[in-house]
Amino acid sequence: MSLRDKYAIVGIGQSQIGEVPGSSSLGLLAEAMKNAIQDAGLNKGEVDGLVSRGPDDIYCHHQRMGEVLGLNVNYSTSLDNGGASQALGVILACLAMDAGLCHTVVCGYGRNAWSRTRQAAESRKGSLQQHAGAEEQLPREFGPEFGYFGAVATHAFGAQRHMHLYGTTKEQMGAVAVSFRKHARRTPWAQMKKPLTMEDYRQGRLIIEPFNVYDCSLRTDAAGAVVVTSAERARSLKQPPVYISGFGSHNNLRGWFFDDHMVNTAARASGQTAFRMAGMSPGDVDTAQLYDCFTYMVIAELEDYGFCPKGEGGPFVASGALDLEGVLPTNTAGGQLSEGHVEGMLQILEAVRQLRQKEPPGRQVPKAEVALVSGHGGNAVCHTTLILRR
Amino acid sequence: MAYNKPLPVPSAESKPFWEGCRRHELLVQRCRACGKHWLPPSALCPECLSTEWEWTRASGKGKVFSFVVYHRLYHPGFKDELPYAVALIELEEGPRMLSNVAGDVKAVKCDMPVEVFFEDATEEVSLPKFRAASSGRP
Repeated sequence: MSLRDKYAIVGIGQSQIGEVPGSSSLGLLAEAMKNAIQDAGLNKGEVDGLVSRGPDDIYCHHQRMGEVLGLNVNYSTSLDNGGASQALGVILACLAMDAGLCHTVVCGYGRNAWSRTRQAAESRKGSLQQHAGAEEQLPREFGPEFGYFGAVATHAFGAQRHMHLYGTTKEQMGAVAVSFRKHARRTPWAQMKKPLTMEDYRQGRLIIEPFNVYDCSLRTDAAGAVVVTSAERARSLKQPPVYISGFGSHNNLRGWFFDDHMVNTAARASGQTAFRMAGMSPGDVDTAQLYDCFTYMVIAELEDYGFCPKGEGGPFVASGALDLEGVLPTNTAGGQLSEGHVEGMLQILEAVRQLRQKEPPGRQVPKAEVALVSGHGGNAVCHTTLILRR
Repeated sequence: MAYNKPLPVPSAESKPFWEGCRRHELLVQRCRACGKHWLPPSALCPECLSTEWEWTRASGKGKVFSFVVYHRLYHPGFKDELPYAVALIELEEGPRMLSNVAGDVKAVKCDMPVEVFFEDATEEVSLPKFRAASSGRP
């Protein structure tokens, strides 16, 4: 039997966001999970499932979170799909509940990327490579010897190929950054509030061409969490339920550099599965909350999800489509480029907020009935999709 | 001055590849069962999963599938190289590999034809790098 609309997100919580000196990822996530449970109007004893993803260097992360929150649960695990993990956590929660393993699950992710980076820079221990390596888990051959390091370059390869095949321009990528900054400026907790014009974008410091600094997401200390339970139980809780109508995943495990995966990403198959489950099509979506580690990924995902044809993502974003008054208001809190980079977790929270329709004028997407959320990560090949409705 | 960039740390599977580079030969794996060529090295054919495969010498010709240009320093060894191009090379035989394209970074384009050359980094290690293919082939 289909799980369409059978489970719902009933609570959301986030921690402090931005530059939080001395923060730990566990502390931030504990704060977010506590807030999510409170937002749902539950006490912690009513939660019997926990799904987390920690920094990859914390063994059995879910156990550490349970210790911190003082929880015994019927079901818990921690995930390893990079930025696709956060939406996948919500899917796993649904599957575990449907199997009868548990009835109410808290899911979340936290990171202290800004604080960690600052500590590393201040201690001046180790080379630049070791600093990058702590986060990226660099390979030891077929990359570093040629000066290839990490996720910025990985995605820049895709952007370059997309520009070559479809004539996508730097200004079109800039349109993504400019739209998201506008959203962030209306979002009280967003990390980046400074206005960003297209001229500012054009002057941006080059990082790895074709990306400049404004194409790249932020380093953020923050965490987010959600509480998921059955639709039936949701209707008796404090918040208006946000139903999980569809979900999907697809992982191009053969690699980002294989075939045409860097241009036709795993979002396509993941989205098809989610739309089929929800009985919907891209035209039904009122707002998208997309995984924007880099501007280019937004363009690729919009195409792969079918919001525009392949190759037309550049003109689509340049038309103002992603603005609050655009045809598809996207990353309406500013996304990872301007709100804060919590590997897709804040995208889920923002979708729920929009669907509750309680945001102030200037933040609220008009008639937000359906939202699409994406997660993308691992070595750029794992993808997860959620389709949510009020 | 001592070589100060990262050197490859070969795995059990990749050791013959790097030994080939030391002899200035670009090797790829070839499946005896289905004829597929592949890199990076692995224990079985990623198409048909056969373990009957051999190392074979590639022509060294290929094209740039995509590329990036580093303007930011990620490792001190590359300080004097900035800006430098890292390219995904698609070899004539099919496999793709990351490498550098020598010369002016502004001349690098997607789909441009390139050919391999070897840079002797140390006494033990030679790196396969690429440059624009010579127009008149010998």
